[in-house]
Amino acid sequence: MKVLVFHIGRERYALPLTAVLRVLPVARLKPLPGAPHYVPGLLDLHGEPVPVVDLSRLAGTPPSAVRYDTRILLLDVPAAGRLRRLGLKAERVAGIADIDAQLRDGGVAAAPWLGRVAAGSAGAGGETSCMLQLIEPARLLAPEVAIELFAGVPA
Amino acid sequence: MHNLSIKNKLTIGFGAIVAIILFLLTLAYNNFARLSQANAWDRHTLEVLLETNHVATSVLQVQSATRGYLLTGHETLIAPIHNEYENAGKHLRRARELTADNPAQQERLRQLEPMLVTWMDKAITPQIDMRRAAGKDGQSISPETETAVLAGTGSVATIRQLLGETAAEESRLLEQRRQETTALRNSMNMLLSGGAVVCVLLAVLIGTVLVRAISRPLTSLSEAARNFGRGTQGARAEVLSNDELGAMALEFNRMAQAIEDSQAKEQADNLALRAKVDALLDVVSKAARGDLTGIVTIRGEDAVGRLGEGLATMLGNLRSLLNNVQRAGIQVASSATQIAASARQQEATGIEQAQTSVEVLATTKEISANTAELLRTMEEATEVADYTTSATADAQDKLKHMDHTMQQMVNATDSIGAKLAALSEKASNINGVLTTITKVADQTNILSLNAAIEAEKAGEAGRGFSVVATEIRRLADQTSVSTWDIEQMLKEMQSAVSASVMGMDKFAEEIRRNVGEARHVAEQLSGMMDQVRKLAPRFDLVLQGMQSQAVGASQISGTMMQLSDASQQTVESLKATSEAVHQLQYAAGDLQQSVATFAVHE
Repeated sequence: MKVLVFHIGRERYALPLTAVLRVLPVARLKPLPGAPHYVPGLLDLHGEPVPVVDLSRLAGTPPSAVRYDTRILLLDVPAAGRLRRLGLKAERVAGIADIDAQLRDGGVAAAPWLGRVAAGSAGAGGETSCMLQLIEPARLLAPEVAIELFAGVPA
Repeated sequence: MHNLSIKNKLTIGFGAIVAIILFLLTLAYNNFARLSQANAWDRHTLEVLLETNHVATSVLQVQSATRGYLLTGHETLIAPIHNEYENAGKHLRRARELTADNPAQQERLRQLEPMLVTWMDKAITPQIDMRRAAGKDGQSISPETETAVLAGTGSVATIRQLLGETAAEESRLLEQRRQETTALRNSMNMLLSGGAVVCVLLAVLIGTVLVRAISRPLTSLSEAARNFGRGTQGARAEVLSNDELGAMALEFNRMAQAIEDSQAKEQADNLALRAKVDALLDVVSKAARGDLTGIVTIRGEDAVGRLGEGLATMLGNLRSLLNNVQRAGIQVASSATQIAASARQQEATGIEQAQTSVEVLATTKEISANTAELLRTMEEATEVADYTTSATADAQDKLKHMDHTMQQMVNATDSIGAKLAALSEKASNINGVLTTITKVADQTNILSLNAAIEAEKAGEAGRGFSVVATEIRRLADQTSVSTWDIEQMLKEMQSAVSASVMGMDKFAEEIRRNVGEARHVAEQLSGMMDQVRKLAPRFDLVLQGMQSQAVGASQISGTMMQLSDASQQTVESLKATSEAVHQLQYAAGDLQQSVATFAVHE
C-alpha cells in the first residue's frame, strides 16, 4: 500500500495515496472569522472555495514556519451526508512510501482521526524511519465542525 | 629867603646879573646896527656926489673939445666928444638909480637929461658942422656960430646949476646924518657906563647875600662837629635854614644822638659780657683741673651765649665720652681677651684651610682632567649630532616616500572595496537564480507527487509511470539539496565578502590614520631636524665653553697654589695678630687707669 508521508511536529504520519486527490503548494488563505483555531481559512482552488485544516494545530503542536515542503493536500471527506473537498495543511511532506499490509491498531484512541500504525521501515529517500501512523480522513472533522464548515454549501 | 635852597639862591643871583648884561648887549647891538646903517647912507651920498661930478666933468670935456675944434679945425679933437657925451648920459642914469628914494633929486636929474640932449643937438653939433663947412682955412667965426656958442654956454650954465643944487642937497643930507650919528654914539656911551655900574652893584649885593646864607650854617656846623669831636656830650648844630645845610645840620644832630646811644649800649654789653666770660672761665678752669662736673648756665643768641651752649654741649659730650671711654676700656679688655681666643682659633682654622687648599688643588686637577675628557665627549657628541641631522633628513625623505605609498594603498583599498561591492551584487544575482531553481525544484517535487497519485489511481496501467514519477522526485530532491548547498556556499561567500568589505574599510581607515600619523611623524622629524641643526652651533658653544673651562681649571689650579701659600702666610700673620692682641690688652688696662683720674659724677 502506497502512502504519502508527512510530519506533525517531529513525528511521521501518512495518508493513503488513494485518498489524496492532489498535492498543492502553500498559497495564501482567506481567514474565516469564527472558525475553530485549527481552520486557518479558505483556499481559492480555481475559483472554488475549499476550507483548509492545519494538522499541526489540530494535533495541538505549535506550527512551525512555512517551509518549502509545507504542502496543502487536497482530499475528499464525507461530511454533512456526502463527500466534500477539504485541504490539509501538512508540514515536511517527505514523499511517497510503500508500506506492507501489516498494520496494527494503535490501541489508544487519543484523537478520533488517528488510524493504524505501521512499523518502522526504510522510507522514501533511503532513510530509516520509525513508526508511521495513518490518518483517517473520514474522522478528521468532528460532525459539528463539518456542519459548521459545510452546512451552507449546497450539494 | 630862608626857605630857598643854595642851588636856587645861586641860580637867582647869577641869573639876575646875566639878564642885565644881556639887556645891555641887546641895546648896544641895536645902536651898532644903526651906526653901520648910517655909514652905508654916507657912502651912498658920496657915490651920488661922485656921479654928479662925473657928469660935470664930461660936459666940460665936450665943451673944451668943441672949442679946440673951432679954433684948430682938427678932426682928431672932436673924436672923444661922442664918448664923453655917452659917459655923461651913463653917469646921469646911474645917479638917478642911486637917488630913487629922493623925489626932489629925481625931479632935478629928470630935468637934466633933456637939457643935456638939447645942448648937444642945438649947440655942439651945429658948431661942429658949421666949422667943418667953413673948411680948413675958412671963416672961423660966423654970426651963427656965435649964437650957437652962446646958446651952448647958457645950457651948460643951467646944467651946472642943477648939478650944483643936487650936490648941495646931498651935502645937506650928509651933515644931517652925521649929527644923528654923533647923538647915537653919545647915548650909547651913557648906556654902557650906566649898565656896567648897575651890574657891579648887583653882583656885590648878591655875593654878600649868598656868603651870609652859606657861611653862617657852615660855621655853626663845624663848631658843633669840633665840640662833638672833643667828646662834649650834647654838642649839637644850630639849624638856621631850610636848605641843604639845614638838612645837613639835622642829619648831623641825628647822627650824634645815634652815636651816643650806641656808646651807652656798648658799655652795658661789655659789662654783661665780662660777667658771662668770668662764669665760663670758672667752669673751664675746673674742667682743666679734671673736674668735669661744672655746669654752664650761660645761654643766649649772642656769641657768648652760643659759646656757653657750645661749651655746655662740649662738657656733656666730654662727660659721656669719658664714660664711654671707661666702658670702652673694659670692653676693649674683654674683647682683646676674646680676640686672643679667636686668633688662636683662627690659627687652627688657618692650618686647616691650608690643608683644605691642598685638597682643593687635587680636586681642581681632577676637574681639569674631567674637563679634557668632557671636551672629547663633546666633540663626539657634535659628530653624532651631525650624523643625526643627515639621518633625520634621510628619514624625512623616506617618510615622504612612505606617505606616497600609503596614499597608493588607500587608492588600492578603495578599488578593492568597489570590486567587492560588485562581487556582492553578483552573489545577489546568483541568489535570484537559485531562488528560481528552488522554485522549479519545488514545482517538480509537487509534480512528481501528483504524478505518483495519478499513477496509483491508474492502477496497473500506471505502474511504469509511477517509476518515472519516483525518478523525477529523486531528481527534484537532488536539485533541492544542491541548491541548498549552493545557497549555503553563497551565504558563506556573501558573509565573507561583507567581512572583507568591513575589513577593507577598517584597513583603509587604518591606512588613513597611518598616513596622518606618518605626516605627523614627518612634521615632528622636520621640527626635530631643525632642533638638531640648531644643536650643532650650541654644541660648538659648549665646546668653546668647555675649552675655556679647561683653561679656567688650570688657572684655578694656579690660584689654589697661591691660596695655599696665602693660607700659610695667614697662619703666620695670625700668630703676629695674637701678639698684638696681648699688647692691646695691656694698652686697655693703661687706658682704664688714665680715665679713672677724671671726675664725671657729682
